[in-house]
Amino acid sequence: MAGMSGLQARAQLQAIAQVRWEIFLHSLRTTKGTLELFSRILITAVMTAGGLGGAFGLGAGAWYFVSQGEPEFLAALLWPVFMFWQFFPVMATAFNETLDTSNLLRFPLNYRSYVLVRLVYGALDPATLLGSLWLTGVAIGVGIAQPRLFLWTVVVLAIFGLFNILLTQMVFAWVERWLAQRRTREIFAVIFFLFMISFQLIGPLMSRFRPRSASSMVRVSGEVNTVQRLLPPGLSAHSIASRANGRWGASLLSLAFVAGYGAVILRVLSVRLRAQYRGENLSEVTKDAFAKSGDNGVRVGWNVRGVSGPIMAVFEKEFHYLSRSGPMLLTFVTPIIMLVVFGFGQGRPGGGFLQRSPDLGFPIGAAYTLLLLTNLIYNNFGADGGGIQFFLVSPARFRQIVLGKNLTHIAVLVLEMAVVWIGVSLLFRRPSLAVTMATIAGMLFAAPLNLAVGNLMSLYSPKRIEFGTFGRQRASQLTVLISFGVQLVVFAFGATVFGLAKYYSDIWIAAGLFVILAAISITAYGLILGRVDALAQQRREVLSSELCKA
Amino acid sequence: MCLLAHCSLLGRWPRALIGYARVKPFMDVPAIRTEGLTRRFGELIAVEDVNLEVAPGQFFGFLGPNGAGKSTTIKMLTGLLAPTSGKMQILGLDFEQNPVDVKRQIGVVPEGMALFGRLTGAEYLNFVGRMYGLDRETAAKRAGELLEFMQLGDQPRKLVTDYSHGMQKKLALAAAVIHGPKILFLDEPFEGVDAIAAGTLKSMLQRMIARGATIFLTSHVLEIVERLCSHVAIIHKGRLVAQGSLEELRAGVEAQAASGNGDHLAPGSKLTLEEIFLHTVGGVRGAEQELSWLG
Repeated sequence: MAGMSGLQARAQLQAIAQVRWEIFLHSLRTTKGTLELFSRILITAVMTAGGLGGAFGLGAGAWYFVSQGEPEFLAALLWPVFMFWQFFPVMATAFNETLDTSNLLRFPLNYRSYVLVRLVYGALDPATLLGSLWLTGVAIGVGIAQPRLFLWTVVVLAIFGLFNILLTQMVFAWVERWLAQRRTREIFAVIFFLFMISFQLIGPLMSRFRPRSASSMVRVSGEVNTVQRLLPPGLSAHSIASRANGRWGASLLSLAFVAGYGAVILRVLSVRLRAQYRGENLSEVTKDAFAKSGDNGVRVGWNVRGVSGPIMAVFEKEFHYLSRSGPMLLTFVTPIIMLVVFGFGQGRPGGGFLQRSPDLGFPIGAAYTLLLLTNLIYNNFGADGGGIQFFLVSPARFRQIVLGKNLTHIAVLVLEMAVVWIGVSLLFRRPSLAVTMATIAGMLFAAPLNLAVGNLMSLYSPKRIEFGTFGRQRASQLTVLISFGVQLVVFAFGATVFGLAKYYSDIWIAAGLFVILAAISITAYGLILGRVDALAQQRREVLSSELCKA
Repeated sequence: MCLLAHCSLLGRWPRALIGYARVKPFMDVPAIRTEGLTRRFGELIAVEDVNLEVAPGQFFGFLGPNGAGKSTTIKMLTGLLAPTSGKMQILGLDFEQNPVDVKRQIGVVPEGMALFGRLTGAEYLNFVGRMYGLDRETAAKRAGELLEFMQLGDQPRKLVTDYSHGMQKKLALAAAVIHGPKILFLDEPFEGVDAIAAGTLKSMLQRMIARGATIFLTSHVLEIVERLCSHVAIIHKGRLVAQGSLEELRAGVEAQAASGNGDHLAPGSKLTLEEIFLHTVGGVRGAEQELSWLG
């Protein structure tokens, strides 16, 4: 019987793989599908090149540490890999894909097969690709330095890699659960608020610890080292180092601990997966969904003087959508997390990057905020799904709809920039007026350019996304490629302008140049907005068929 | 008597519907008129040379087997799909030349219902009302009345995505009428709807007809079409094969049968719409076929 179910499970997994392959082949029938494939190959090639570069660097580092008889220092390589593996999926959701397995539930798939499908297909993301490449680099570096260590290193790093895959999926599965409902979202909002308030404490705390004697630095380093050795990256490095020193017992014990961490993570992940396997629906329905004393939930819509009804209606609708989207809320807090991550470097000798160049804190934070918004900007209608048909049959002009959406994006951008400005002020130092104005002028150039191209891509390459879950979030690969190109252009202009300003030692030059560039990009935005109605008419069938897909 | 009955009901009816009492049908121009309407998808001709004419105030059923071209036609008539060739006039206005003016006068429940899942029912109706140009207060007032009428007002915080299928259909219909359209296009409005919800929808549609609106619907539920519609058109393999009032269609089939074309009809019996439909599209019911693995 067990053999029978094993055979059935294998057949099911084969069937899933075959279906995905057939879907892929069918997608090539259209020009869009072929362009998607081309974009995907290009993106994968760029990532692989970056990954190979990283693998080479990490391999060289691993070779150096092991050949110098300091294999414990491998931890210094494994920690960055671990951090990247865990943070990249959150910080670059556009590149991330989580398989939506809810469709599989109607088939007689046993729980074990379900978990396997989730883990295997869920692991097909860039973070895993790059992380695996880098770990391979480390293993090769260790193997060249000490060939007899190679096999053990492979085993240790494979378990470490598996731990990373499980942890990423566990974090996403639970965060999705917490952000899916209003009540838990509110708790999340309160935590975020407290986090913001705590900024005021982080700054003084860092200042307090900044001036340190050499002896106290050594003591703190020792404490940090003790703690890191108890965590998977440190334990993995320790396992390899112990094996290098001939301490088999310690080596096995460290590896067992890494595996133990993995088992615990799998157990916690399993709670979510079991709920999903049972057909859990993360709905918003709560006890207070029912009306209290005749309240039917109708409120008079928002109004801003001078803004037309349809534009304001779209703005209000977008606001409701964003406020109910867990993944989007998470995206909005990441610039702050990033600032804190940079801020933590301050205690080190020589200071963190932003401590050395605090003036760059606000421009970098603002640019990163815009980068995170590309997911929204370049796929305007993705979350509307079947609602696109309403836009197509309604008498509102498409330029009004697009403008309403863009106003929401601008409002979010302004709000985020204000938060970043406050964060930079509290963590580093208050940005000067010139830097603030230059950054705002830079945004006046970059945002309309992104919005203009984003509006075009939203019409030319729409892709349905689900705001409520972390699955199905990946944007069209063509869109990712084009948005990447636009960011390169923005970055090139930004670097040139700031370079000129630095050369002449006057940041106001940057502000002035950005204003000129802004005038050009705002004009381009206006021209494209004027063409949106005609384009939407031309593209209505593609919009409808792509976004109404089940 | 009929007028009195209507008057006594006015208090219970949403303002969006009461508005129809003031609508004077454009009796001189057809509500819907198509000439040589054709739509190709590559080699496939989904709809070919369709000439439709729907008079104002008609309850018009558009029927056809699966894949016959019903949804393609309704999509073209509502602006979701561009015709390959042919002309469409809605209330005398050319659709391609006056899309916005036409869209202001029609309400649509498309195949996928066109809902925004992550809004509440109230937010959705409010949004739709404002997109159709209603002022904020009017949109909110009508949204409240429609929620009440459709019995959707008791869970104000529930998101549309969590609504049952029947509730979503009712909400989609409420959204389609919030601006008081003169023509209503409904693609399979009764599909997946229980008897209670279907009753609400039917009574609402009949009231709208009574107030001068034109309704164009596609449905597979022929009993409902027969009960509601005064006029019917049947499309088969992309071509319009019949059009007229139910009586005209019945008479046509009977004449065909009498002249020896088609099946023989039982003498004295009145043809149902299902029989007319099967005669017209040449369908055969219940082919006796064995499926070897079924018990």
